[in-house]
Amino acid sequence: MGASTRSSTRAAERSSAERGRADVTALLGAFCFFLSAVEYMIPKPLPFMRLGIANLPILLAADLLPLPWYLALALVKVFGMSVISGSLFSYVALFSLAGTLTAALAMWLARRAFGRGVTAVGVSILGAVASNAVQMGLARVLVFGEAVRLIAPPFLATGLVTGAFLGVFAEIFVERSRWYARARSQVDGRG
Amino acid sequence: MRLRPLDLAIGLVAAGVVAFSAIAAYGQGGGQAEAVIRGRDGEWVYPLTADRELRVDGPLGETTVVIRDKTIRITDSPCPNKTCIAAGAIGKPGQWVACLPNQVFVSVEGRGAGGGVDAIVY
Repeated sequence: MGASTRSSTRAAERSSAERGRADVTALLGAFCFFLSAVEYMIPKPLPFMRLGIANLPILLAADLLPLPWYLALALVKVFGMSVISGSLFSYVALFSLAGTLTAALAMWLARRAFGRGVTAVGVSILGAVASNAVQMGLARVLVFGEAVRLIAPPFLATGLVTGAFLGVFAEIFVERSRWYARARSQVDGRG
Repeated sequence: MRLRPLDLAIGLVAAGVVAFSAIAAYGQGGGQAEAVIRGRDGEWVYPLTADRELRVDGPLGETTVVIRDKTIRITDSPCPNKTCIAAGAIGKPGQWVACLPNQVFVSVEGRGAGGGVDAIVY
């Protein structure tokens, strides 16, 4: 009797955790859409240079979501960004997909490998620079060839700077946000 | 917020990558500054000293590139954002401007020794 109550409590906790993860993924996905629109609005000094603010929800999620939900969120971000910038059915969407998935995986692995030994600042810089490096590699193969070496320095430097700023913002947000604390207990099935 | 040593390590490695890419891009040079235009159909090199207007074919249509007063700029392109037009004129080796949707890449490179050639088509 006691054992079956315990296991049904655990099952309830599990399904509530799964619901919590779905909720958090949906909300963060919506933020990706919104931040993509903000990103699109901001004038760029050079073509396809980005602040990467639409990656902020993914950076926050690296701590929150298990891998399948996390990857789903990354795909939602790629879709949102491509719809809003109008590049969904062009090869430019490939850059978004490759860059976002690289950043997402790099950030997730860094978080899993180093735990609390690294803050969102390091995680964010790693994601930004890895994503830009992969996009440069893709640009070399698909579009620009050798000329990529001219594009790379400002592009990678932007990644370093914006990655650091986003990381600082995320770290402060995680420290102070009540929503984040609640989301954390939600994805654990305690909310 | 307190940064950990690993944050600094990641930052330093990233800065190293940036520095390496900058050396690879701007390390060589010297020579005469030339305009290099890469499009879907090939690569063209023009001197910056002679004013001219060029049309480069891409998947979306024609991109117009103008060389004037030792600078080069994209004046028209059939892309949605027109970021390439907004980028303005470039004239120093290492500078570039690109229209990603129409696959046109324009850069100034200091690689040639100058000379009497008007244009080289690859």
